[in-house]
Amino acid sequence: MAIFKKILALTGAAGLALGVSAAGAEEILIGGALSLTGVQAPLDEPGYKGAKVAVKYLNDHGGLLGKKVKFINLDGKSDPVTVGNVAVQLIDMGAKLIVAPCDFDFGGPASREAQKSGIVGISTCASDPLYSSWSLGDKQFTLSMWNTTMGAAAAEFAFNERGWKTAYVVTDQFIAYTKSLSKYFLAHYKALGGKVLLEDTYTNGSNDFSAQIARLKALGKKPDVIFISSYGTDIGVIIRALREIGIDSPVVGGDSYDDPALHKNLGEKLGNDIYFITHTWMGPEAHPDMPKFLKLYKEMYGSAPDTAFVATGWDTIMLMAEAVKAAGTTDGAAVAKALETGKFKLLTGELSYKNAAQGHEPNKAAVLVELKAGKPVFLGWRMPKNPPAP
Amino acid sequence: MVELIQFGIDFLSLGGAYALMALGLVIVYGILRLVNFAYGELIMVTGYALYLVNGTALPWLVMAAFAVFIAVLTGIATDYVAFRPVRAKSVTAVLITSFAFSTLLQNAALLFISPRPRNIPLPDIFSRTVEIGGVITPVRNLLTIAMSVIMLALFAWLMRRTVIGIAMRAAATHFTMARMLGVPANLIISSAFAISGLLAGIVALFWLGRIGSVVPGIGLQPLLVAFIATVIGGMRSLQGAVLGGFLLAFIDTSLNYSLPQDLLKFRDAFTFSLVILILLWRPEGLLKGPASGQRT
Repeated sequence: MAIFKKILALTGAAGLALGVSAAGAEEILIGGALSLTGVQAPLDEPGYKGAKVAVKYLNDHGGLLGKKVKFINLDGKSDPVTVGNVAVQLIDMGAKLIVAPCDFDFGGPASREAQKSGIVGISTCASDPLYSSWSLGDKQFTLSMWNTTMGAAAAEFAFNERGWKTAYVVTDQFIAYTKSLSKYFLAHYKALGGKVLLEDTYTNGSNDFSAQIARLKALGKKPDVIFISSYGTDIGVIIRALREIGIDSPVVGGDSYDDPALHKNLGEKLGNDIYFITHTWMGPEAHPDMPKFLKLYKEMYGSAPDTAFVATGWDTIMLMAEAVKAAGTTDGAAVAKALETGKFKLLTGELSYKNAAQGHEPNKAAVLVELKAGKPVFLGWRMPKNPPAP
Repeated sequence: MVELIQFGIDFLSLGGAYALMALGLVIVYGILRLVNFAYGELIMVTGYALYLVNGTALPWLVMAAFAVFIAVLTGIATDYVAFRPVRAKSVTAVLITSFAFSTLLQNAALLFISPRPRNIPLPDIFSRTVEIGGVITPVRNLLTIAMSVIMLALFAWLMRRTVIGIAMRAAATHFTMARMLGVPANLIISSAFAISGLLAGIVALFWLGRIGSVVPGIGLQPLLVAFIATVIGGMRSLQGAVLGGFLLAFIDTSLNYSLPQDLLKFRDAFTFSLVILILLWRPEGLLKGPASGQRT
């Protein structure tokens, strides 16, 4: 049955939507352009599931502005053009708010369409500073911290907290996210006084890290810390390759490490002394409401979430709801204003935005997690002091 | 010296894997003159088969054998689903059905399992290392080299000494003639797909062994590698596929070792430029296959 529902969500949402046409006065339609298929699905699908839990919760508690909330997601198929097209379709159907996919490359088109129609669009977890009002318009936001924060938090943890003075940095040349995360880590680490022994690159999917290891060994020095900015299963490839041949320096990375499959993959033997900066932690230590969300999630899907990214979907909807409540309307300009001026306590951290002239830069704390014997351990919230300028 | 040994091991283990991948693609192409674009999915199903038996009490070798068996079955299924119904009608149709089958398998994994990575069991020996001439190297890389040598030898024996191998080579040379002489077409083609699945399944064990997990899109890179290797080596020649695989690995590894950091991010651009140069020099690939042969 669950699978049937999923198929329906993947293929039949458009059909369902026909019954809605322009959302009536009794409903507020939130449109989602999240990708349930393709390369972006691993990040967007959890967001989609979390968003559905949030919508049900809102409706069970009286809706929004006295109206029922309806959430329709049309598969963006991990294709920027399709994402833009489904956003147009959703707006035609009467969507008042748009949930845009993770990542600038895929979420950007949805936000651009939202901006054109004068409504607010929020990406669930785009962290590249390109996701700003500068490039997308004054009604567009991202729920995620920027990579400036993520990179700086990693640098401060390594240099200030642990006193790791020398670093080896690997950058995966995959997408804007992997490149800019390294960039901001390097900028902040150097600004703090850290020394970078070697910067190296990796090509996503190449599945071969041997030349990089040869170069690292040729240094003749052991780095205090290894920063790896990569994506997907390739993180496992790199850490495996390093650990297997006995390079045991601590490894630091970003939110792409926040994946239980990766933790299990590395296991007891290799999953040690790894630290990463991410959005949230699936326990009450992160936010008092986290257990409530997890319980609702379990009620809806029958099993616990397999990644903390589900919280980004819940938060995006809740953030929209709070802003709409504060504005008292779904009018784009008013909601954007409410987002700019409000302070929000979300599962993924406290959040406030700078104004449109300052890019809607999110002021957001990050979670630090340690991997110990393949098990993640919550180390607390971190807020870097002077993150580098985007 | 140490660097040379390191380079040699890296190159041979990558090359062995590439050569097996290319061979699995070219064996079907040789007979049908059609590229099986669902080839990468054979790697994917091997991974998911391993994932599904993960956690059972079976020894790893049994799990691996099961996964390879599933790859063989999927290979044969590719023939039945995507090729056999349309192969006599039009090339375009087969191209589309093989893409469709690939999409179908990927989306099945996406829907019924998850778009997120899933773990596969790895034997202990895969994460062990040995020292050779001062170089610490994972045993897995040596096993990859050994396995590719064994598989290539086995394959050569199969093609030269067995009836089915000779029939396949005959079919690859001149399909219609072979049929007229009593070679059963469907059996030959299905066997080619089965061997393709076997090669993909075995190489998948080592390829995925470097990653430790499987995702629905995992097959894209191996398909690309196999395709480029066969294009360089010669689309019609089995030896060419092996040569192309090793050559591509050699190019990749040398560029990895020698390019300065600023250029390393464009490694793929260099690789493909070299591929283009090779093709300008030898448009049919390095080794030519059998002279004649119409598509059937």
